[in-house]
Amino acid sequence: MDVYVIGMDVHDPSDRVADKRLEEMVFDTARGALDDAGVSRDEIDHVTIAACDELDGRSISSMLLATPAGAYLKDELKCTDSGLTGFCLAAMRAGSGVFHLGLVSSWNKSSVAPVEEVMNSRCEPFFTRPIGLNMSITDGLFAQTVADIYGIDEDDVNRAVMEGYRRAHKNPRGMQRQVPPAHEISNSPHLAYPLRKSHQAPITDGAVSMVLASGEWVAEHPNCRPLARIAGMGWRTEGYSLGRDRLGALTGFRDTFEDALGMAGLLDADELDVIELDSQTGYHELAFKSALGVEGLDAVSPSGGVFAQNPYFCTGMTNAAEAILQVNGLAGPTQVQGAHIAAAHQSHGFAQQGHVAVIFEGV
Amino acid sequence: MAKQPVAVVGTGQTRFRSHHADKNYVELAQDAAKLALDDAGMVPDEIDAIVFSMSPTHFMGVNDVERWSIEHVWGVNKPFMRVHTGGATGGSAIQAGYFHVASGMYDTVLVVGADRVAETPDSQHVLNLIWDRFYEHDFALNTVTMTALAAQRYMHKYGTTEEQFAKVVVRGRKNALKNETAHLKGSITVDDVMNSPRVSYPFKRFDICPRSSGGAAVVLTNKDVAKEKCSRPAFMTGVSSITHSVFMGDRQGYWADTDFADQDGYDRAAQECYRQAGIIDPVREVDVLELYDPFSTFQFPALESLGFCGRGEATAINEDNGWEIDGGIVAVNPSGGTLCTNPIGVTGLVRAIDAAKQIMGRAGDMQVKNAKKAIATAIGGSTQFFTVSAFSDDYVS
Repeated sequence: MDVYVIGMDVHDPSDRVADKRLEEMVFDTARGALDDAGVSRDEIDHVTIAACDELDGRSISSMLLATPAGAYLKDELKCTDSGLTGFCLAAMRAGSGVFHLGLVSSWNKSSVAPVEEVMNSRCEPFFTRPIGLNMSITDGLFAQTVADIYGIDEDDVNRAVMEGYRRAHKNPRGMQRQVPPAHEISNSPHLAYPLRKSHQAPITDGAVSMVLASGEWVAEHPNCRPLARIAGMGWRTEGYSLGRDRLGALTGFRDTFEDALGMAGLLDADELDVIELDSQTGYHELAFKSALGVEGLDAVSPSGGVFAQNPYFCTGMTNAAEAILQVNGLAGPTQVQGAHIAAAHQSHGFAQQGHVAVIFEGV
Repeated sequence: MAKQPVAVVGTGQTRFRSHHADKNYVELAQDAAKLALDDAGMVPDEIDAIVFSMSPTHFMGVNDVERWSIEHVWGVNKPFMRVHTGGATGGSAIQAGYFHVASGMYDTVLVVGADRVAETPDSQHVLNLIWDRFYEHDFALNTVTMTALAAQRYMHKYGTTEEQFAKVVVRGRKNALKNETAHLKGSITVDDVMNSPRVSYPFKRFDICPRSSGGAAVVLTNKDVAKEKCSRPAFMTGVSSITHSVFMGDRQGYWADTDFADQDGYDRAAQECYRQAGIIDPVREVDVLELYDPFSTFQFPALESLGFCGRGEATAINEDNGWEIDGGIVAVNPSGGTLCTNPIGVTGLVRAIDAAKQIMGRAGDMQVKNAKKAIATAIGGSTQFFTVSAFSDDYVS
């Protein structure tokens, strides 16, 4: 598969985008990506959307949002797993030989979505919903498990959170929140033992759009300068149950990266120059780094990752945008010198049930 | 042209009915997956990736229900994604599966889903929630009333009567008698349709599909595996899924690009699908149509937009039995169609399965003789998502 990213736009992050409807956020971002690619909407032959009805607050939300996402009278498909899953579907479409130039968009306006209630209603109604499982509680179960298996203690987590905020503070494309003092992190209330509120990244509003082109299209348009080639992709989803093996083995995470690395012709994650991880809590970050064997690698989430911005559901797309900036040398204060190949990751579902990884190569 | 030809080598459908008291949602999905794997002569380990077909999960009451289903469809730690485009979901899901294989990313993909539409006391209440909460919820807009508006416009444009629409229902229920999985079937008359209780003009109860529950699945693979696994695979030779505006008022009148009454995304979707499939004249080349027709008024504008006759001509052809299985221009909905079975999350997949089975020679009593090319469609949203998929006994080289 020979597919390139030729344009992108990331909506300005915000805790709450109060001056725009979601349709306007989506339109502005899709429009921005087309402009960045230097192509018109007429030229694109397909659109792919990644969105969640429940978080958008409307059944079949793409009824309303497909048009601002550029899909009016265009070939359009929508997936509901995560932003980066939609990216992979879009890449397969652009690389199929049937289509050649596509637009992919994902978004989240979680400031107006009751996220924990949405997550509770993901539980089947017989056993897990009545006991009140939600995102925080399942992340707490995950934290307990990985702390035990990987020897993660709370001080490590507190340091990881502070480092995340430090990196994020340097990122001009992020929220640039102040780095919280250590005692604020270590004394914040427990949400679900051992997970504290400070260990979770705040959720933000956001949207990301990208224009993808096949190798054939790029070859026929010599004036087009691609931002990156998609060197590898992988996505896996684990089971619904929350047992120790499922939570702690990180099988889906490891296999997702193995798939993407294999497609890119790489053997190990440490061959990557940059990895932008979707680590919704400090426990996630430490467990993921340990599973990948990159504990010593400096260039893990140099953007600050979820602590820079975290438009839950589409966070993998912001990671993809950061990875693409890195391989172009355009990441500014968060630039990793000499970065040529970078991975973006997204986690989705209860306690990282699903994972997606995309590897970008500078062109 | 696809980099890898894609073929259907196995299909599975549960029986469809209002309620399956003995099965929960995930068991229905599992039953469909098992049937498709058995039909393909495969075991779960031979599946590389899974696409899950499910429309709004509000019908059955568990958000993102595909995540609950993963173990049951043998999807643990496999590449897995859910596709959702409202009523068109099944049509979109099989096309997403197609791209998994056509791109060369995966060899063999299971597309599977289920729905339990009757879990909610009134699915039209849920379908009211697809509309704008400030302007449209309060005046009872749902998929019945929405479609009634389009039907009235079609009647106004072309003079079709309620009795003429009723004949579509009579034909569908008759065809469904040969479909062992169909929900509604039987010998009924135009009077039966006309005398059923009024719901929303021009619809009476019998003009409207049932709320069905059940599961459906297909196995897609590349041509090399297909050659090994199936003596007569159904190649997917064309895929298109055109999206229109949600705003029905913008799709009629002087300034509109198209007309809402004409199911105005099908023509573009069909042109693209036919181009990919190498179909020049659908009337001469297509043997079977499996149309998405949850209302009696859907077939005529669909047949016209898909190029099987001119605008406003489908009604008269129906009067002359031109859409019958035997002796018609093309065999329309040998399965009975969506009027007889509508498990919304997989309805488009059921259309595709019934079309593919015709090509594979596995349609049983519904089999159309010498079927070599079949078209399956689906529609979703405010009659705004249009999918058209072509199936053939050979791939386009």
